[in-house]
Amino acid sequence: MKITVRDVGDAKVVEVDGDVDLGTSPALRSTLFDALPRAARLALNLGAIRYIDSSGIATLIEVLRDSQRLNKEFVLFGLSPAVMEVFRLTHVIRIFRVFQNEQDALGTA
Amino acid sequence: MATAPRHLRMQFAMPSDPRYLPVVRGAMCALAAAIGWDEADCRAITLALDEALANVIRHAYHNCPGGLIELECRETAEGIEISLLDNGDAPDRSKICAREVGCDQPGGLGTHIIKDVMDTVSYEISPQGNRFVATKILRKTP
Repeated sequence: MKITVRDVGDAKVVEVDGDVDLGTSPALRSTLFDALPRAARLALNLGAIRYIDSSGIATLIEVLRDSQRLNKEFVLFGLSPAVMEVFRLTHVIRIFRVFQNEQDALGTA
Repeated sequence: MATAPRHLRMQFAMPSDPRYLPVVRGAMCALAAAIGWDEADCRAITLALDEALANVIRHAYHNCPGGLIELECRETAEGIEISLLDNGDAPDRSKICAREVGCDQPGGLGTHIIKDVMDTVSYEISPQGNRFVATKILRKTP
């Protein structure tokens, strides 16, 4: 799994490429928790994720809860049908703000 | 020459180390496709197996990579049977599917995924160890 973080205005965009599973989700968790306090909005691009399991979804829930505690925005974009299916199976998609693309996620469209 | 009946089967003996999960996922997805499931079902069955293995790694072996997990996936007359055997701590039945569906708690998602994807799921404690067995029926479209 490869993770990159870039600044877009006062937001941070995190890009993830590869599989998010029990072995790799701790690295994603660490990156997201590190970036969250440093940005007004944290946007996670899931477009290059080939696989995500419940440990990855649990990581996103943890970050969402912390974003609410810190009064930050945590949003998702670029969900493939395969990733969307895992969200459907875990019944948690409704708790996230999900956008089609980066412009919509950052409100710059 | 008569065609021999097909009984596809794969067996793995893997350490309780998440680095090996991608190996099993790749094999599981290919096996499910060979049996006859479509791409979405192959992904779902693979996810269910991955979640079951992750539960063994986390809860039976407490993330210690030195445990042994024996995995068998075999084609049956109706579809597939997946079985796991481990010698770690026994599963806590009170925590299986205990999470409220749709809530914002991060834990307990895996057993719900397994239950949703597979048709039957059982957790048994046997003299050989903890045995997880799940089956799924291949429903052929006319």
